[in-house]
Amino acid sequence: MNKLNRRDFIKNTTIATASVTTIASGISLTTFAAKSKESAPVTNEKRWGMLINVNKLTESSIDDMIDACQEENGWGSEVHSRAEQKPDWIKKVKVKDKATGKIDVLPMLCQHCEQPPCVDVCPTNASMKREDGIVLVDRHLCIGCRYCMMACPYGSRSFVHENLDNQKTHMPRGKGTVESCTLCVHRVDKGEIPACVEAVGGDGVIFGDLYDANSKINQTLKKIQSTQIRSDLNLNTGVRYSGI
Amino acid sequence: MKHLLTIFLIAISVSMSVQIHADNRIPNLGDKANKCKDDECKEVHKLPNISRTQSLVIQRKMHPEFLLHKRDRTLRQGVRGGRASLAKCVNCHTSVDKNGEYIPVNAPQQFCSTCHKQVGTSMDCFSCHRTTPAEDM
Amino acid sequence: MNIRYQQIQGRSLGFYTLIAVLIAVILLASGGVYFMEHNGHYVSGMSNRIVWGMPHVFALFLIIAASGALNIASISSVFNKKIHKPLSRLSGLVSLSLLVGGLMILVLDLGRPDRLIVAMTEYNFKSIFAWNIILYNGFFAIVIVYLWMMFEHRLNKFSSKAGLVAFVWRLILTTGTGSIFGFLVSRQAYDAVIMAPMFIVMSFAFGLAFFVLILMASYKWSERPLGDIIVNRLGNLLGVFVAAVLYFVAVKHLGSLYLAENTGVENFILFGEHIYTFLFWIGQVVLGGLVPIVLIYHPALRGNRLVLGLASSLVLIGGIFQLYVIIIGGQAYPMEMFPGKEILEGYGTIATYSPSFAEVVLGVGGVAVSLIMITFLLKFLPFLPESLDDKVADQIIKSRGPAL
Repeated sequence: MNKLNRRDFIKNTTIATASVTTIASGISLTTFAAKSKESAPVTNEKRWGMLINVNKLTESSIDDMIDACQEENGWGSEVHSRAEQKPDWIKKVKVKDKATGKIDVLPMLCQHCEQPPCVDVCPTNASMKREDGIVLVDRHLCIGCRYCMMACPYGSRSFVHENLDNQKTHMPRGKGTVESCTLCVHRVDKGEIPACVEAVGGDGVIFGDLYDANSKINQTLKKIQSTQIRSDLNLNTGVRYSGI
Repeated sequence: MKHLLTIFLIAISVSMSVQIHADNRIPNLGDKANKCKDDECKEVHKLPNISRTQSLVIQRKMHPEFLLHKRDRTLRQGVRGGRASLAKCVNCHTSVDKNGEYIPVNAPQQFCSTCHKQVGTSMDCFSCHRTTPAEDM
Repeated sequence: MNIRYQQIQGRSLGFYTLIAVLIAVILLASGGVYFMEHNGHYVSGMSNRIVWGMPHVFALFLIIAASGALNIASISSVFNKKIHKPLSRLSGLVSLSLLVGGLMILVLDLGRPDRLIVAMTEYNFKSIFAWNIILYNGFFAIVIVYLWMMFEHRLNKFSSKAGLVAFVWRLILTTGTGSIFGFLVSRQAYDAVIMAPMFIVMSFAFGLAFFVLILMASYKWSERPLGDIIVNRLGNLLGVFVAAVLYFVAVKHLGSLYLAENTGVENFILFGEHIYTFLFWIGQVVLGGLVPIVLIYHPALRGNRLVLGLASSLVLIGGIFQLYVIIIGGQAYPMEMFPGKEILEGYGTIATYSPSFAEVVLGVGGVAVSLIMITFLLKFLPFLPESLDDKVADQIIKSRGPAL
């Protein structure tokens, strides 16, 4: 008993704990990976994008897109927030050309930039871009500083201003963090298309892999003229518009 | 010095007995997990090459690591499917109240909070994640 | 020559009254924070359009002033102006305290202040904000070391080197703070590199104004002699800094007006009909700029302490207005999302903002935290020279070798 001094005691316990932890984590994490049927990580061989043909969209079809997004992702039923505090993953914007007076109505959502300013400015890496080009907020790391909202040229991001419950299982959302359109990443990973695209149907909004030469979006973009909003910023957006 | 060591050892043994006591307490497993008797349910937490009991111990000790590991892979790399899933935890370990409504899994006396309260650790999962099984699950 | 430093007594009724008032303000601010964090930001005036509100006005104001308050110490250490040497310790203290107050506001306004540890462990080195976190922490450490070298006689000889490091660091820090706005390419109100040097000059003015007020108050309340030589020098310097701020503001807006892309937001701020135009011209330019300059340099008012105190206070109030116009006004005007087009619906209106009580007390609470920190530390450590009357000042100026 006398031989056991405090330093040795601490040293031994620490070593013991450390080795148990290492072995345990080694076993469990590797076996766990071996057993499960996980999908492979996404790669940058794909780049998801969207082509919105403004001429083929009516105001009501844009409303349908908004409804579908709310339904799918569970936002819009906030009770306390004022109108300008409510989330706005996708909104309807009406613009008029200053010279010709031509009026266009278009849906505005996260443009899923290749060089997203929100990702550049985020201090904690919460704002992130997946390899396949989808820009997301990692709510686990988001501290709610709202600098990404300052940086986004499209005003696409919203801050959750109140307590929420009854979220969708696939779309966790919570007070004090920033959120925006996820391009319905949970559907895309299952091989489905985003809810808003499905809601419009037809050719109004085309979703697909911009890099895939055989995809409809790639082929359409080669044929018709399209624009990126604020293309002067050189962000190379994943969401493109035609007809404005 | 000896006094200090004695106090230290007493403190350790007290805390260990508390720990053992805590480990022996069966948490509120939730309705579905309690009722579930078939083999598939018993195998849910089973890891290869270890007994079912050992697997459960590892599950109990290391669920934060499992979830954390999976969380980053799912969110950042788009890895879907696999064993660890918070939604699956919630799905089996929630209970239903008298009116047939689900009780949030992190509510007092429910699955998560029994242990978490005991060991005094807070969890941040449910400030964003859904606390009850989805309607269609 | 040696200067004798001495703690303040801190036993008078005035001292305890000051502490009590500050604690009351801090408690009120804590209540405000709890209210805002418990309910969520819907109880604040902030929204998805005005994402940074009153707390950020106060936080950035204090952070800018903090880096500026260190200037007095830098002037003596780096530029070897002996007359400022006896003020160096106080300068470091004011600087540290203002930074603490500012950062506290910033952290408590986060959506998830409980995740502060994330901000300290996860860094995105592309983010100017992340760099600011590092710069603030570094500034803190450097100023503490600098103060230590000023306090410890054996280390006095290193204090000028530490002062140089602190000076360079504070320039980088304010550049970083200015760049938080200056690097926002998408916002016409901010996207200008001049934001960084402008913030530096603002920091000179605000920091010195804080310093002058605290110096005069602490000498008056502790009944120590404070001569005109030192006070008038500081006053003159303040006047120069305030004029420099006006110059930078003019250049910024003129340069911005030149870009057609920015005329919208410039017209909105400079000639619009919203509160920001009033705050800019009356609050920032007249009250915070022209009036203090007149008060400081008018021959009839020279050397009048009360007038200098008033001028310093006006500089601070004008500074709050200036940051309000920059931060809130800059966000209120919509971004130029569709060049050549007018937005009819869905976006593009002028965003409204009315700060809630909780936000304002949080901001004021930050100031109170800074002041209470200064008050307490003055009592426990010898920051202030026993005397700064004109005889002492004269001796310092005439003395050879570094003043300790």
